[in-house]
Amino acid sequence: MKKIVLTLALALLALTGFSQAKKPTIMVVPSDVWCNMNGYMVEFDNQGAWEKLPDYNAALQSDPDLLLAISKLGEMMAERGFPLKDLGACLRQLRNDAAEMSVTMASDGSDVAESPVDKLKNVAKADIWMQLTYKVNEAGPKRSLTFNLQGIDAYSSKQIAAASGTGTPSFSVELPVLIEESILSNIDNFNNQLQNHFDDMFANGREVALTLRKWNSSPVDFETEFGGDELSFQIEDWMANHTVNGRFSTQDVSENRMIFEQVRIPLYAPNGRAIDTRTWANDLRKELQDKYNIDAKLSMKGLGQAVITIGAK
Amino acid sequence: MKKRILILLLALAPALAFGQAGKVKQANRDTQTWRYEIEPVTVGLQGTVVIRVWSFSRNPVIAGEQAKKNAVHGVMFKGIPTLERMPGKKPLVTPEEEVNSGQFLGQFFADGGDYMRYVSLTNSAGGEEVLKVGKEYKVGVVVAVSYNELRSYLESKAVIRSLDSGF
Repeated sequence: MKKIVLTLALALLALTGFSQAKKPTIMVVPSDVWCNMNGYMVEFDNQGAWEKLPDYNAALQSDPDLLLAISKLGEMMAERGFPLKDLGACLRQLRNDAAEMSVTMASDGSDVAESPVDKLKNVAKADIWMQLTYKVNEAGPKRSLTFNLQGIDAYSSKQIAAASGTGTPSFSVELPVLIEESILSNIDNFNNQLQNHFDDMFANGREVALTLRKWNSSPVDFETEFGGDELSFQIEDWMANHTVNGRFSTQDVSENRMIFEQVRIPLYAPNGRAIDTRTWANDLRKELQDKYNIDAKLSMKGLGQAVITIGAK
Repeated sequence: MKKRILILLLALAPALAFGQAGKVKQANRDTQTWRYEIEPVTVGLQGTVVIRVWSFSRNPVIAGEQAKKNAVHGVMFKGIPTLERMPGKKPLVTPEEEVNSGQFLGQFFADGGDYMRYVSLTNSAGGEEVLKVGKEYKVGVVVAVSYNELRSYLESKAVIRSLDSGF
């Protein structure tokens, strides 16, 4: 009897352990608008066109009010069970990794393999970005703070939560106090919307995007016939069978590419393990290989967009 | 003479006590039927909300006391409305969660129940606003509710779900 109870308990434990979805990582960043307003931008020559990018390092090293806002948000999110990824620590980690990579060498003198694409992808990542903007308004001797906090889902690039508003004008309140007040007044509404987003995700799956394209050298394209139908329709059938309630929208189809958006992938595989976009898209890559004998390369753009290129690895 | 007064007082005491108990019961019924008003006062310290609660009773003392219960009840089931530039808050407990936790909530809101732990400050010691409305008094009391602690407690008792539940 004891053995049966023990076995049951262990089975239940394993099941609950597997049925935990991956907890999203959240990071606070100052918005591009805030960086631009406060002069924390770097300009660079992008093949002849000058472009501006936010300089997070400079902002974090020079602005104590920004640091206060980030740490206050971090404190309040940790209280709700979501300790935030720290932007400053992530940027330091990336710099250290780059320095280490440049001096790492094998005993035969060869260095670590890193493609230009790998280098491009060396950026701070999070599942949800909390994009922060604030601005002090002055009307005579009175000051108020306009505050805007946007939660952006890195998978779908959609705004999933937001809290914004302008505080009550005041004569003598210092900026850090205004920032703290704005965060305290707005964070619960922000978290309510975040909760709705999580509820939707648990009910309807995670929203991601999938792009399929072909190498120029590929002998097959998406209009090639397999088993009486074009490859594009075969892929759409696979999508319908492997998304939550068959939910996805086909944005564009041609002989060279297929673009799917608002693809709702399940949070768990049939064996109960949590899955992410790459794991899910890899099933399609394997299907193309096994069923149609098509080699394909799977790559990721950010966390929520998978790209499968058919014709070669 | 003294004896007569004593007998009269002894005879009146139960009637007075029952009258008082009836008013408390009525105040509790008012709480259950949302007969109170809430407005935000200021952005409180971290983790608290500061609200003014207007309660109704024929006895202003009972209305003042009931304000504490109404404050917690309001934060949990009614939410706090937006006032000018001060953003409001949604109720902590949804109607479905309220139905599912009926027994627990009954004990929580009993007289002297656990709800008292989350009312951290009031101005009931003489600072309340009292209005006479018909035969009743409308009493406004400023109350600070320990919002974050209350939420954590309700999460720990599985009345509401935590933000990270499911992960």
